[in-house]
Amino acid sequence: MTFLLVELFCFYIILQYNDRQNAIFTHTMGLVGGNIQEKRSNLLAYTHLKEVSDSLIAENAHLRAQLSDARNIQVPYRDTFFLRELDSLASNDSLRRLMIRPQYEFIAGRVVGNSISGANNWLVINRGSSDNVQPGMGVVTKDGIAGIVRHVTPHFSMAMSLLHRQTKISVVIHRADAPAPSIRDAGNDNTAGRRKEPVRSLGSLIWEGGDPSVMTLKFVQRHFKVKENDLVLTSGYSQIFPKDILVGKVEGTPKEDPENLNSWIIRVKLNQDMATLNHVYIVNDIFYSELDSLNQKAKNE
Amino acid sequence: MNNSIFPSIWRFIGLVAVQALLLQQAGSAIGSYFNVLLYPLFILLLPIQMPTPYVVLLGFAIGLSVDFFYTTIGLHASAGAFSGFARSIILAAYKPKGGYSGKEPVAAPAYFGWQWFVQVAALFFIAHLFWYFSVNAFTFVYFTTITLKTLASWGLTMIFVVLYCILFNPKN
Repeated sequence: MTFLLVELFCFYIILQYNDRQNAIFTHTMGLVGGNIQEKRSNLLAYTHLKEVSDSLIAENAHLRAQLSDARNIQVPYRDTFFLRELDSLASNDSLRRLMIRPQYEFIAGRVVGNSISGANNWLVINRGSSDNVQPGMGVVTKDGIAGIVRHVTPHFSMAMSLLHRQTKISVVIHRADAPAPSIRDAGNDNTAGRRKEPVRSLGSLIWEGGDPSVMTLKFVQRHFKVKENDLVLTSGYSQIFPKDILVGKVEGTPKEDPENLNSWIIRVKLNQDMATLNHVYIVNDIFYSELDSLNQKAKNE
Repeated sequence: MNNSIFPSIWRFIGLVAVQALLLQQAGSAIGSYFNVLLYPLFILLLPIQMPTPYVVLLGFAIGLSVDFFYTTIGLHASAGAFSGFARSIILAAYKPKGGYSGKEPVAAPAYFGWQWFVQVAALFFIAHLFWYFSVNAFTFVYFTTITLKTLASWGLTMIFVVLYCILFNPKN
């Protein structure tokens, strides 16, 4: 007994007066303490399992919500029109989902060659026939449209840039003060009816060379009152581009067209900077051949 | 019994002095593995009849005295206290037939013969040295080093113990 007490006292004074032993003791106690802490937390972890699973479920739901948002945001992977309809449905409403057909497929690619300085400019895209790219498909970006595919090799495709003399794109001009173009059939709603003024008017977008950020909008009828900053959207009539993609905005005041007295010449400032094209999506209209054969029948009559 | 107090006091002072003034220098000169610790002989040569708690306390006292010179407060004190405790066990194990009588006041070769004394002293010192080096290292991570130090120092120390007993032939 005396021995134990004396030894205890000895250890106490050893730790008090000897730095090395004290350091070892402190370190060892730290290790032992850490070990005990770890064992304790391992034991307690089981009691927290319910909370952990609850938080994981919550996180799961959050991520699922983000995923469905992502489908909307990452336009244009799918036609936005059909997407909006799809996402407004209850996800388990399989019958209604069957009724909705996506019209467009989007093939993601990158621009590996581009020019803007010439009179006729081309884009080279790193997707080709092996990726289902075919001549005639439109090329869009998240900020607008970029061109139309003309030539295809197995792994690359050559697209006519918007900045090309032959470019002629079917667009609509949409009044900036009208309801947003995302609301469908805006022209038929009550406010537009009361105003007795058309919200939209069809036109053709061409490039006359020069400034690579400006295109020319022709064949907009004179009775349509054009204002600066009116939106220029794809019409969706050409089967090349989906409907209602923002191409640009009206710049300056329109002039009368000397060749065609019933229409305006409008300068359009492009939304997409053609000099910095990088990620693009090639638009594959799934019903292109079907509609094309229909058009051919009409022609042959 | 009374006669044995003064020799013990003298032994205490003498061994601490020798330990502090000579053996400490010698030990540090030879190297860290050789550490001659002669002072525990004081504990071993305390009266056999002395109760163990006193022996432990006296072991603590001489150890602490040595510690003051070694500037390792508590280290030798701990070893000394342990040795005091170990002595009672060793002496009990090496009890002669019929036990210890008052005729043999101290565990010295003069009473029990050299063979008995060297065996007891060998065990006693190996216990003391092992404890000392263990506490010095303060961790059994260096168990091999502790053992090697103990054996090396023990061999050297035993020579000094035998020399001491030949020179002074302690009788009480």
